Amino acid sequence: MRRNIFALLALGVLAALTVVSQADALQAQKAYKEMTITITVTPSPAPTGGYVPAPPAAPAAAVALAAQLLADPYAGPARVAFAGPAWDVSPGGGLQVAQVSTQPTPVPVQFVAKADPNAAYLHIVPHTPSVNAGYGKTVFPCAFEIFTFYTNTYSLTDWGYGTLKTGATPYFPIENYPTISYLSWTVPDFSATVTPYNNSGPPGETTWTGAKNQSQQHCINLTLNVPNSQPAGLYTATVQYNLYVTLP
Amino acid sequence: MKMRNVTRRWTMAATLLLVSAIPQLAAASATREGSAQINYKILPSIKAQVVPNYQSSFGPTGGLGSGSTPAAGPSAVLGGGTVDFGNVVVGYEYLYKYAAQVSVQTNDASGFVVYGEGATDLNGSNPVPAPPTWPLQQTLFWLVSSAANTAFSPASAFNKTSGTPLGAKGSNGINYGAGSPSPASQIWTNPGAGNVSQGYDYELRLSGSIPTSQFNVYIVYTVIGN
Repeated sequence: MRRNIFALLALGVLAALTVVSQADALQAQKAYKEMTITITVTPSPAPTGGYVPAPPAAPAAAVALAAQLLADPYAGPARVAFAGPAWDVSPGGGLQVAQVSTQPTPVPVQFVAKADPNAAYLHIVPHTPSVNAGYGKTVFPCAFEIFTFYTNTYSLTDWGYGTLKTGATPYFPIENYPTISYLSWTVPDFSATVTPYNNSGPPGETTWTGAKNQSQQHCINLTLNVPNSQPAGLYTATVQYNLYVTLP
Repeated sequence: MKMRNVTRRWTMAATLLLVSAIPQLAAASATREGSAQINYKILPSIKAQVVPNYQSSFGPTGGLGSGSTPAAGPSAVLGGGTVDFGNVVVGYEYLYKYAAQVSVQTNDASGFVVYGEGATDLNGSNPVPAPPTWPLQQTLFWLVSSAANTAFSPASAFNKTSGTPLGAKGSNGINYGAGSPSPASQIWTNPGAGNVSQGYDYELRLSGSIPTSQFNVYIVYTVIGN
């Protein structure tokens, strides 16, 4: 009897493992895209501490004169402001110094933009690909939109490009695990929850899921938190979006 | 008699005076050494050249996820030609390595500033899209060349000029009139005189809504002494 129970249990475990492995095998990465945001961190407005000495007291005579002027502003003699006989720059007599300049032959740039065969399943519509950010928290509403579609059920996942749970060079603002990303995302169509970008590399986090033949396009709100320790300058944040589809 | 004596004395005095003056006259015609201070100004001068595709391993990389490997187009040749990204796929990012090198020669001790901006927006030509141009500022970027650069390295956008393009679509440069390029288009400052060079890579970020077409633009570099 006990032997039969063990056999049945083993059979059940095997069946479960088979189902799970089949489900995994049926998932495939249909397309992936990188979304790059250029961030210019403006110089820090962090307050500075210091001692500013009090200005010296005005001479007693000047104080008395000022009090008299306040009490009777029209008392004589008449006073006329006069800056002196010399012009800093005489009218029409300014000297303009020409700066030397040169302009070499321009550089021609060209490319042929071809259609993306995966655009029907996954594409990104950027709205503010370059942003200026001060120190502290800044929200960029609908920084970009993502479109997804597939003929079967699917999921959209994301992670910070180049990040790894086992260690990778951290770059502001997405950094690398276990540091929490300074850049967070929200899909306002679904939830107000602000989530720091996953920075552990694949498998990442689920952005949203889709039903069979469901096309959807949603805004992504970004929230950037610039710590005071971060030098001002130019940065980029690159997020990899992946469309995983269930194969028929 | 007295009168004659007086005349004789005057004659002698004049003779003595003349004899004593002769050495001085001789000395006045001899070479003498001395010093003089001369003040003069050398006008500052600036010369500059821009060389596209300036290093042998120039060309596009990137396009991660597009399923195709980028390759430089036929207009790109070493040390000249066009910064030709070739065929690129909408929705992906590319890096063009060793796109252009700016060389400046100047005697201006105050140094110089280099500006780089597009003579126009990107001009679509084959087929002509509607509208026929696409914003340069969100598509083409620059960064100082480095072997470590990738298509996702921090880069600054090229701006469309506020000046007047010269020639066909700016092929002859930009006329700024009495003005100068926008400070936002500054790409390099050098604090002194010398013969210096700096190389640049270009980044191409093709948003999902750019039309399929052949695009081109002229990037104009302007060097101004400080």
